Amino acid sequence: MRPLRSDQLAAWSRTFAVQGSWNYRTLVGTGIAYAMMPLLRRIYAGDPVQLREAVERSMRPFNGHPYLCAMAVAALGRLEQDQTDPQTIEKFRSALRGPLGTVGDRAVWGQWRPICILTGMLAFLLGAGPAWSAAVFLVLYNGGHVAIRIWAYVKGWEAGLEVGRLLRGAWLERWAGRLWPINIMLIGAVVLILAERLVREAGVSLESWALLGMGAVAALVAFRFPRQGGRAAAALLLIAPLLWLLGGLAG
Amino acid sequence: MSWSELYLGPGNWILAVLAGAVLGMDAVSWPQVMVSRPLVSATIGGWLLGNPVAGMLVGLVLEIYALRHPPFGAAKYPDTGPAGLVAGAAYAASGGQAVGALLVSVVIGWGLGWVGTVTIHVRRRLNERIMSPAFDLAADPSLLEQRHRIAIWLDALRGGVLVAAFLVPSVLVVTLAVGTGPSDLGRYALASLVLGLAASAGAAARASAFGVRGWPLILAGAGLGLLLVFGGLT
Repeated sequence: MRPLRSDQLAAWSRTFAVQGSWNYRTLVGTGIAYAMMPLLRRIYAGDPVQLREAVERSMRPFNGHPYLCAMAVAALGRLEQDQTDPQTIEKFRSALRGPLGTVGDRAVWGQWRPICILTGMLAFLLGAGPAWSAAVFLVLYNGGHVAIRIWAYVKGWEAGLEVGRLLRGAWLERWAGRLWPINIMLIGAVVLILAERLVREAGVSLESWALLGMGAVAALVAFRFPRQGGRAAAALLLIAPLLWLLGGLAG
Repeated sequence: MSWSELYLGPGNWILAVLAGAVLGMDAVSWPQVMVSRPLVSATIGGWLLGNPVAGMLVGLVLEIYALRHPPFGAAKYPDTGPAGLVAGAAYAASGGQAVGALLVSVVIGWGLGWVGTVTIHVRRRLNERIMSPAFDLAADPSLLEQRHRIAIWLDALRGGVLVAAFLVPSVLVVTLAVGTGPSDLGRYALASLVLGLAASAGAAARASAFGVRGWPLILAGAGLGLLLVFGGLT
């Protein structure tokens, strides 16, 4: 039986919880099955044996970006509705894992989320109140987030087996390629303004131009060697309060 | 500041624990709207303890550190929801003025973030047990749905427990740091924080960049930041 619009809506809304039972054995597989349940119940209404087999197939190991899992849920639901042979479904699942993860990671985690966060931070540093700054981030980010989930679900259902072709050269991939320069410039601007504010509020005299130069060098070295730069950043973060407290105790 | 000035009563504590549960769930389980980012979670912590501006300032520093840990593939990253809340609340409770308290709050938030990561790992192992045996779950789809929801509630419980366990000790530790004023070593402490932020920003920029060719853009961004600072817009 063909799923109703209410089943589609229920399945889409369940994709927000697709990682709820994430585990090292099936990864997001059980979450995919959970999200597909409204579709499977309708498709296999009155046939418990086929329903059990479909649920068992849906629970198998799967991975992908959580927002783009909506595409997998819809496409797999479409294949179940079209009575596609189980071996083809399994091959399709395997083929989908890589692209769904890579495209989503690069576009959402790599670009969209940092840009929205940095915009919210910039709003605060330029004088907006904390509630407004957090709202700027949340509204901007979730506008994109929900749009991606809707697009992924609708396209997944429409395309079925052709989803892989759809992901190659998708707008998400193109956007990621265009957004990264903005992202990096925002990081540079925000960290400089934040550092200036921290120094100003501390009431401690510092050689500001020397600190600015050293900060630029630290940022560039960490950009070239991110792993080592990250470790150095963590060490400097730990050292800072120790030095402050030691100075206070000694003084 | 004296202990009696602390703005942390049972009502705030309960609200903070409930907020911690929501923030603990948000990052991975449901609904991933990113209220668990330190920018938001630390502000909520600050707001609960009467000073959202102080909370957000802690959140900003934690955010620069968290940005260099995008959750790509199997990468490990700090759980910033409950941790940000505790750090923001601790700094707000201390009055939100002293730099020493800010530094200690940030370190507490960062450390608690990694404690949260360990608890996420434990929960994922627990999920393996909850979501098995596969045959039984496939035979009874309602059971699968029920277990999935239990796993989500466990994540909420995890966030709530983290806040319940660490909020009061963190507030006390940060309040102790309030009394320490600027000193000669304090200059180096602040320089250490600023250089750490710069290094973290460099590493975060690389995580977003397509290759190594984007380095001039960090300097261009910093130049823009300088213009804003000297233009009096900050």
